[in-house]
Amino acid sequence: MKENKETVNIAFLGLGGQGIITLAKMIATSALDTGKKVCYNEIHGLSQRGGSVQSFLRLNEESSPLFASSDVDIVVGLEKMETLRYLYGIKEQKPKVILLDYFEIRNTNYFGLEVFPEEEEIDKEIKERAEELYIFDRENFKKQFKGNFIPYNVGIFSALTTFEELGITEEIGEKIVKKLLGKNILLSQVNKKAFKEGKKWIKKI
Amino acid sequence: MSVKRKNKIDNGIAETEEALFMGNHAVVQGLLEAGVGFTAAYPGTPSTEIQVRLAKLHEKGQLYFEYSVNEKVAFEVSAAAALSGVRSAVIMKHVGVNVASDAMMALAYFGVQGGMVIVAVDDPGCQSSQNEQDSRFWGKFAHIPVFEPSTPQEIRDFIPKIYDLSEKYNMLCMLRMTNFTSLSTGIVKHRPVEEKLSWNGEFVREIKYQIPARYLLHKGLHKSLKELVKDPLFDEFISLKESSSSSERLIITHGAIYPIVEYMAELYNFDGDILKIGAIFPLNEEKIAEIVKKYKYVYFVEELEPYLETEILAIIGRYNLNVTVLGKEKLQIPYENSLRPDALKEAFSRIVADPNDDSVFYEIPDPSPLPKIFDSEELLIPRTLPRLCDGCSHRGAFYSIKKATGEDFIIPSDIGCYALGQVQPVDVGDYWLCMGGGLGTALGMSKVNGKKVIAIIGDGTFFHAGMPALLDAVEYNHNITLAILDNSLTAMTGGQPSPSSTTWKRKDFNPINLEEVVKGLGVKWIKSVQAINVKENVKIVKEALEYQGPSVLIFKGECIVNKLRNMKTPVKPLSIDQELCTRCGNCLIDFACPSIVKEDGRIIIKQDTCTGCGYCAMVCPVNAIK
Ligand SMILES: Cc1ncc(C[n+]2csc(CCOP(=O)(O)OP(=O)(O)O)c2C)c(N)n1
Ligand code: SF4
Ligand code: SF4
Repeated sequence: MKENKETVNIAFLGLGGQGIITLAKMIATSALDTGKKVCYNEIHGLSQRGGSVQSFLRLNEESSPLFASSDVDIVVGLEKMETLRYLYGIKEQKPKVILLDYFEIRNTNYFGLEVFPEEEEIDKEIKERAEELYIFDRENFKKQFKGNFIPYNVGIFSALTTFEELGITEEIGEKIVKKLLGKNILLSQVNKKAFKEGKKWIKKI
Repeated sequence: MSVKRKNKIDNGIAETEEALFMGNHAVVQGLLEAGVGFTAAYPGTPSTEIQVRLAKLHEKGQLYFEYSVNEKVAFEVSAAAALSGVRSAVIMKHVGVNVASDAMMALAYFGVQGGMVIVAVDDPGCQSSQNEQDSRFWGKFAHIPVFEPSTPQEIRDFIPKIYDLSEKYNMLCMLRMTNFTSLSTGIVKHRPVEEKLSWNGEFVREIKYQIPARYLLHKGLHKSLKELVKDPLFDEFISLKESSSSSERLIITHGAIYPIVEYMAELYNFDGDILKIGAIFPLNEEKIAEIVKKYKYVYFVEELEPYLETEILAIIGRYNLNVTVLGKEKLQIPYENSLRPDALKEAFSRIVADPNDDSVFYEIPDPSPLPKIFDSEELLIPRTLPRLCDGCSHRGAFYSIKKATGEDFIIPSDIGCYALGQVQPVDVGDYWLCMGGGLGTALGMSKVNGKKVIAIIGDGTFFHAGMPALLDAVEYNHNITLAILDNSLTAMTGGQPSPSSTTWKRKDFNPINLEEVVKGLGVKWIKSVQAINVKENVKIVKEALEYQGPSVLIFKGECIVNKLRNMKTPVKPLSIDQELCTRCGNCLIDFACPSIVKEDGRIIIKQDTCTGCGYCAMVCPVNAIK
């Protein structure tokens, strides 16, 4: 259905506190730095942690950041249940799915509800609905860092830069990390390492 | 009267830089470029980022900003600036306009000397609000021009022009945004503004402020509106996107959803033209009639109410135009929720269909008008609802209230994070209406139901709209208990200061003592407790409930999000000693912090989400949580 083949439509799905908006901002800033048009939108509720958060980003496009789910190219999931929910809405095609999830499935217990899908079931459903599926190996990424601070944001951004459609070069990527997150020297060291490591841990399933 | 202008004003032409701006930040940029020196606001999502940035600019000394005690006061302080010749802006969410409206309706009659814009941000879909009212209606009701931009660039471009019009016609204006325009980010060409913007003005008395025959001002207002629509600058807020072929079809839509409509039109190969209306009120009837009459079919695509549809149908009638109109009902565009592309698929399949093929335009039955717990039936995926954070101090207060009240009490709650206490399994609170509405209705509830009622409110909401209701409680000795959950913060909207914030460092800010205010309102029974002492507090809640007449119990605690934000040391999560744990479920079910979960028959604390707040340890009867 798509007219403009150059446009790349990306949907980010996850929960509050996972850094979805930061991720979208990093991608958008990279695009601006390479002279591309870009726009994105964020959809979230209240400021509490744990609510559903979505962001929609379009590369080479500047008017509407929102697009029809039938028009999505890449689905970036930071939480599996939120990702599957979105995939269920797509009837027309199968997108590329990148799972960067690093949260366990939430144990929410609203309305005394005890029925939760098993994780394996969710994985299976996601796989069925993806044209290609990539998964970020968070456990191995985590192992590269000692101490309390695991720079997931940078790690998953780095993982995303391996996808050519986004057109983010090594150089631009590093610059963006520095620009947006690298104010503190100690942090910037860790972030630098995270940017090197992140891309190693994204694997096609 | 002429006003000496102190601040440099940009007409929005000089553009020297490109940057990514979210809509809310583009508002601030527009205000700066328009030379607006005086701003005030009351917190409310989705307008938050505008306010946070203005607060920072105030800190830098670039302009004046204050978080006022509520929207009405915010409006009034800004109005005074505008009456004194200073360009001013007041920022709030859509429902805030209800609170400010008493002053707004009257100020419209006075008119302004310095330009004044009320920025109202609507929340279609009620992402963070009690309703999804459509602010476009205020224009006609209050006689204020309403403008609605569509992209961050347009927001920045519109604002200086709106100020020019506001000043030229001495009219208060409204910038109507929505969560879509507020939270969309795009590349914006702009002129960085570094200079300090003055907020000094001079009030000049005018006879029109004093005359009793106010209807004369009303008359003047209609005259100004008629002049305004003829202004060439006003025309710039309407644009027609013409397709290459000459078409019989025209879509009429409004700024806030224009980008989505344009996108959908492309996706569905719509071959007609699109009229974007960025000036919602007043409408330039002549111009619109001129445009509309060229088409055979006119489609209205609007988010929320069919405002333009109704207004333009009247124009079509007055001008006797021969067009077929297809609107909300025919296109089956929902009245509710934000109009994302997927929600417009049905409408667009109808727009590109043969308008004379009746089989296309049937009414689709609503399969499930009631909220569902599950989003999808394929795998049972539960809805993600907001909930109190792991480690929120409100949960401590709820625990004590729950233990003290049992099943028998009516518990009106209010608007703030504590409204989430109503979500199971915490389950404290029966309803929330509007800010301050919990206490107000509690008074009537206790009278009519003939029993003590306990109302819940936050410190922010208490100062905003709770004080008059408490005064009423004292005045008529209503039999209520008010639990004020005091985290000295306006937490729900992102952690802005509340009047009692002791952590907000600003030279001219004096934190208000909540207890003294309550005493000052004449309350005789008042106690302050730490929310973390959950067990002791059960007794104190009971005492408050036993008291005949108004009693106030203040629970003090911290917003964990705010605490973590300012914490220098790493979080130390707690854990449960499995030897001691008797699986009583007190922490899991009654207290219900989401970090406490059941796993393989044991109750454990999730180490990656626990914030180490320590509340659950106070709940455990055998001290197993450490
Ligand atoms: C008229 C109106 N203005 C603003 C808001 C946005 N709003 C939602 S909750 C809230 C205040 C929350 O503060 P508080 O009562 O202290 O509760 P907390 O979130 O800190 O628990 C505000 C301003 C609103 N819902 N209605
Ligand atoms: S943001 Fe603060 S007040 Fe609101 S739920 Fe979270 S901890 Fe509680
Ligand atoms: S200490 Fe207890 S109440 Fe606090 S966050 Fe951790 S599990 Fe929840």
